[in-house]
Amino acid sequence: MKILIVLFACVVAFAFADDCGDLERLKVKSQWRRAYSHGHDREDFAQAIWRAIFAQAPDARQLFTRVHGDDTKNPAFIAHALRVLGGLDITINLLDQDEALKAELAHLERQHKGRSIPDSYFEAFKTALLHVLPAQLGRCWDREAWSHCFDLIAHGIEGH
Amino acid sequence: MLRLFVFLCLAVTCCFAAEGHQFCCSAEDRHIVEEQWEHLWGDTESSKIKIQFGRIILLKLAEAHPDVKPLFANVDIEHPEGGKFSAHTFRILNALDLAINLLDDPESLDEALNHLADQHKVRAGVKKVHFQKIGEILHESLAHVLNEYNSLSWKSCFKGILGKIASKLHD
Repeated sequence: MKILIVLFACVVAFAFADDCGDLERLKVKSQWRRAYSHGHDREDFAQAIWRAIFAQAPDARQLFTRVHGDDTKNPAFIAHALRVLGGLDITINLLDQDEALKAELAHLERQHKGRSIPDSYFEAFKTALLHVLPAQLGRCWDREAWSHCFDLIAHGIEGH
Repeated sequence: MLRLFVFLCLAVTCCFAAEGHQFCCSAEDRHIVEEQWEHLWGDTESSKIKIQFGRIILLKLAEAHPDVKPLFANVDIEHPEGGKFSAHTFRILNALDLAINLLDDPESLDEALNHLADQHKVRAGVKKVHFQKIGEILHESLAHVLNEYNSLSWKSCFKGILGKIASKLHD
């Protein structure tokens, strides 16, 4: 019986480990609030993320020629970088409001459709975010929770 | 009285002295707006405030200008509490948030507003008067939710922001 309980606990733990659970959602929300900040700090945050993305996937710059991806300091690119973070801000904040989250992910999926963005670019975004976040937050951040919840959001945008 | 008059003259000259695309939103105004706006979003649950606030603004707009209702049909304005409309109000509030947080970087702000102008240009039926009304509603509502609300600063900055977003509309 004991073994069964332990086994059951393991299964539960495993089930929780892989998705973005309710508690993880709350944690990510509050950590994001701190990391996202405002004004110039937010601009720097966005810059750091995009530089880290382009460092991993230099070819990805080609997708951003319209907004001057060749120069992340260009005002058009800064505006773009902040728009993207704005979209991420919405999805993270809606993590605990299912219906609205679904609607927002569907909206973002439509915006990304037809731009032939390989999954590897989303992975590069994730890696960049997971590197820049702890730099913003210091010790108080939960990599696992972020990893799970980012995947949920990215998969929603990718549509698979 | 004389002092007031001199002050007004100065204020007017200040506004006119600014270049064509500049608006009467000084560095001090910008800081006031940024700081007061930030008061609304300090909490983790700010998303709920954002949605509610955005919902109130859009519904008030629809009440004053019923012709905007069909423009929001695809985001399900018929069910303002629903997910679709909630996500949409969040998007709008986040666009305002983007603009306010870029007030200190006029060139990037210009690009961001230009993009928003393009997004509204292609939506047939959106009119400049709608943006004027949104400005009015916004000021009324902000005065209610913010303990500290400096209407002069907000008006001078938002005149530029909303004006630029509506600048590519024909009527």
